[in-house]
Amino acid sequence: MRPAVSQDVLLALLADARLPTGAHTQSAGLEPALRAGLHPDDVPAYLAARLRTVVRVESATAVVARHAVLRGLGASGVDTPAATAALRVVEGEWAARTPSAALRRSSEQLGRGYLRLARRLWAGHPALAALEAVPRGPVGHAAGGAGRTAPAGPAGAGRAGPPGSSGRGRRGPARPLVLGVTAACAGLDPIGVARLVALDDVQTVASAFLKLAPVDPLVTTGWVLAAAPAVDALARDVAHLTVAADLPAAGAPLTEEWAEAHVHATERLFSA
Amino acid sequence: MSLSLSTGDLAAPVLRPPRPAARAEPPSPVARPEPPAPVATTVRVERRAGRAVVDLRRGALAPYLLDDDGRTVRVALVAAGALLLGGDDVRVRVHVGAGAALELVETSGTVAYDGRGRGARWRVDVVVEDGGVLVWDAQPFVVASGADVDRGTTVRLGAGAVACLRETLVLGRSGEAGGRLRTALRVDGPGGPVLVEDLHLDGARPEPGVLGGHRVLDQVVLAGRRPDPGPVPAGRGAPTVLALEEPGAVARRLGDEVHRVALTDVAAAWCVQAGRQHAG
Repeated sequence: MRPAVSQDVLLALLADARLPTGAHTQSAGLEPALRAGLHPDDVPAYLAARLRTVVRVESATAVVARHAVLRGLGASGVDTPAATAALRVVEGEWAARTPSAALRRSSEQLGRGYLRLARRLWAGHPALAALEAVPRGPVGHAAGGAGRTAPAGPAGAGRAGPPGSSGRGRRGPARPLVLGVTAACAGLDPIGVARLVALDDVQTVASAFLKLAPVDPLVTTGWVLAAAPAVDALARDVAHLTVAADLPAAGAPLTEEWAEAHVHATERLFSA
Repeated sequence: MSLSLSTGDLAAPVLRPPRPAARAEPPSPVARPEPPAPVATTVRVERRAGRAVVDLRRGALAPYLLDDDGRTVRVALVAAGALLLGGDDVRVRVHVGAGAALELVETSGTVAYDGRGRGARWRVDVVVEDGGVLVWDAQPFVVASGADVDRGTTVRLGAGAVACLRETLVLGRSGEAGGRLRTALRVDGPGGPVLVEDLHLDGARPEPGVLGGHRVLDQVVLAGRRPDPGPVPAGRGAPTVLALEEPGAVARRLGDEVHRVALTDVAAAWCVQAGRQHAG
């Protein structure tokens, strides 16, 4: 076993921009937003709106995924099939709350980066094994809630078609699932993983802004600090969640529209 | 005509005494006379050996049977009184039996008026059993300044069931910023949740990335099947089409005025495709 690491150090480690997860390819929707006419003065309001909507969903999903995998593994800590089944339910609820295929793809892309990290740092952890065992392809087909007996779809069915044209064909777990499982592996508390997702989004927007517009980095750092109370409030709101069906579902239609348009944009700096 | 209607509950323009609510609200802490429990408007359609069995119950909306072409039963929903006022609690239940097809038609939109401090609720619960079809090209839902509305929609689809639902949400009448609207939509299919989306909108506090400066959200939700492949609308003003993870899609257009024409083609196509599911 690894020696215990404090919550503070774990959070600092996982929230560090130098973490090799490929986060630098992301603008948390800022690039398409600016392209669509978001005024730079409105970026702090944009941050707040994200924290209230899409980030709330992501953050809560990570919290519930963490709970699902730990509870699924059970007292023995090794009941991988139960943990896998629980993660599938969480992923199905997350996907239903993420109607934009472009945003689901971005989340998977980010999930891959974190998954690489977790595979190296927590290799062999049963929580990770449970996540890796979640079948890919049409994720929802056996993701019914308790009591449902829907048969599993044929593996890989519906994968045809270019990305974005079809809703199906998931290639990897979404970022909040990976982060929830990483939190389970690392021993990060629910409120810690909730803060991690929320703070990461704010930092992503702030640092992306520096590449998209000429501004003093102290200005964007000020935005992050100003958003910190909302980050903490969000984390407190979602940290107690344990049931996938109870996940918040606040949507952001314009954000989804921008994300879909960005898939087809040329000369973009960020993939999303 | 192989049409039979259950007796007693036809949508005649007769005021029926409110029936006891199935689920009573918790007692209000405010010392105010309890409002009568809301009567749910109910539309229930089944098809038994080709015969349509239609059960219509009048609530805040009055359902009227329009016709049955042997496959699809069409029912009109008409406001039975002034809607939507502060304190109103409108409930609509729609049940489409296995293999049946129902099209709901609205003759006019709904305006949620200034509730003068009182909120209003609008709740729709839909069940479409195996192989059933529901098409509901709803008229605009306008939230006037001062209105404070909770709008909830649940849809449960059985195996092979399809629903095509239009939703046009408008913040404010002409020249108004609009009131507050909280929507909660949940669509469940046989394989799990299809679409879960809440919108928290306030005409006085536009949020970047949510509706921005737009006042109108017009959308068509197709659930239970994917739309046929076809040319994706493009260009300015074209709707955004969201392909859901589970079989289904959302076509959505944000705008400043109610120009429903932008989604008319998509709505018509998807509603036809929904019905074709039934035929096949």
